[in-house]
Amino acid sequence: MIWQLDLSVLTLIVICAFATIMVKDLLSAAIIFGAYSFLMCLLWTEMGAVDVAFTEASVGAGVSTVLFIAAVYQTSRTVKPRKSGRGLAKIFALLATLLTGLVLLIAEADFPGFADLSSPASLHVSPYYITQTLHDTNVPNMVTSVLADYRGYDTMLETVVIFTAGLAVIAILRRYKKDQPFTPPEPYILSKGYPDTIIRFVARQLVPFIQLFALYVVAHGHHSPGGGFQGGVILGASFILLAISYDFKTVLGIMNEKWNVLLGNLGVLIYAGIGFLCLGLGANFLDYSILSKVLPATDRVMARSHGMLGIEIGVAIAVMAIVISIYLNVVSRGKYDKGL
Amino acid sequence: MQAIISHYNYWIYILLMMIGLYAMLAKNNLIKKVIGMSIFQTAIIVFYVSISAKEHASIPIIAHGHGHGAVEAAIDVAHYANPLPHVLMLTAIVVSVGTLGVALAICLGIYRRYNSLEEDEIQEQLQ
Repeated sequence: MIWQLDLSVLTLIVICAFATIMVKDLLSAAIIFGAYSFLMCLLWTEMGAVDVAFTEASVGAGVSTVLFIAAVYQTSRTVKPRKSGRGLAKIFALLATLLTGLVLLIAEADFPGFADLSSPASLHVSPYYITQTLHDTNVPNMVTSVLADYRGYDTMLETVVIFTAGLAVIAILRRYKKDQPFTPPEPYILSKGYPDTIIRFVARQLVPFIQLFALYVVAHGHHSPGGGFQGGVILGASFILLAISYDFKTVLGIMNEKWNVLLGNLGVLIYAGIGFLCLGLGANFLDYSILSKVLPATDRVMARSHGMLGIEIGVAIAVMAIVISIYLNVVSRGKYDKGL
Repeated sequence: MQAIISHYNYWIYILLMMIGLYAMLAKNNLIKKVIGMSIFQTAIIVFYVSISAKEHASIPIIAHGHGHGAVEAAIDVAHYANPLPHVLMLTAIVVSVGTLGVALAICLGIYRRYNSLEEDEIQEQLQ
């Protein structure tokens, strides 16, 4: 922990946060927010949270920025000035914010210092995870073993939450009727609609490598930063890259709406299915060690490692499908006719 | 001085939370409100992650060779960052992209109906 580096990154983060709130152009706000997310990654890597930083790099800085740009593309780019007579509301908002900040500051005074070894959060269950993960599961990456094994329930329901979010986006936005033709919003700046050969060529060459990397991230999550969530988001991002550089219909030809929802279902089903398989074999829900009965040539420790790999694959499939589905719906305003 | 070095992090997280909260309360544009919500989320996530940090600790991956039981040396708890907050926040980040998608979908739905994302214009049309 180098506090000088920490402080300078934090200063840049605060500047980015101010800028993204203050700037009048929403497209600039989205891009500055992407920079904010990248700085966050840097901060987390510096704190030793490599898995979190990896997730933020693919989700926060990648997919979130694309989603913001898609939403800005479908609405208006500039913020209109507020009509007069609302100054009082701003003052009240400022007062409420300052009051909340003050309360938090008072509460913060009782906190253990930063990077304190004897902080309560590091004393209760976390020493068990750190010392026993290799012995229990043969997985050196503790984050993966805690995510997929020790706290498997949590992760399963988080996957369900993501799936529900995907369904909610479809329920809110999707329109099946062919009503009025697509009319570009007023400041129509983002895409002129003609093919750009260089961008298309580079994107087409990159997509297979991105997908290969995503599979590596999923499969190698036991030994290095990564896992189902990161790999799934990268897989989804490769399809989004294809949708942006080519056109909407290309991706729809590979991954149509039905497949997206089916794959999202399948991912959650794989996760829960492995849980029920453990239950059926006579152990607790998501207790993978019992899988040594059905997996050939594995002892109870390796069975836990393989069980984790199984659920990571399920998570990756679900996250990939949902990320693609959310993007396709947001960028075409639910009409599936034309994208960025 | 020591007290400042060990606590200034938290003050900056609180500042970030305040920026996010102010944007959610005071901004007129709905996309700006969503950005404020995202900043608020990251402020909370960075707060959790900072709890996991330990002085001179490494990343939470045990140094290992290949094959079964390659590591037999004793594992020092103080040598690795606390993995539990990392796990909780990793899933929280992925869920945050889900909530962001839903929030933007609602914004687009509002735009479809009122042809505006400005809070005061929507209010006028509602009355």
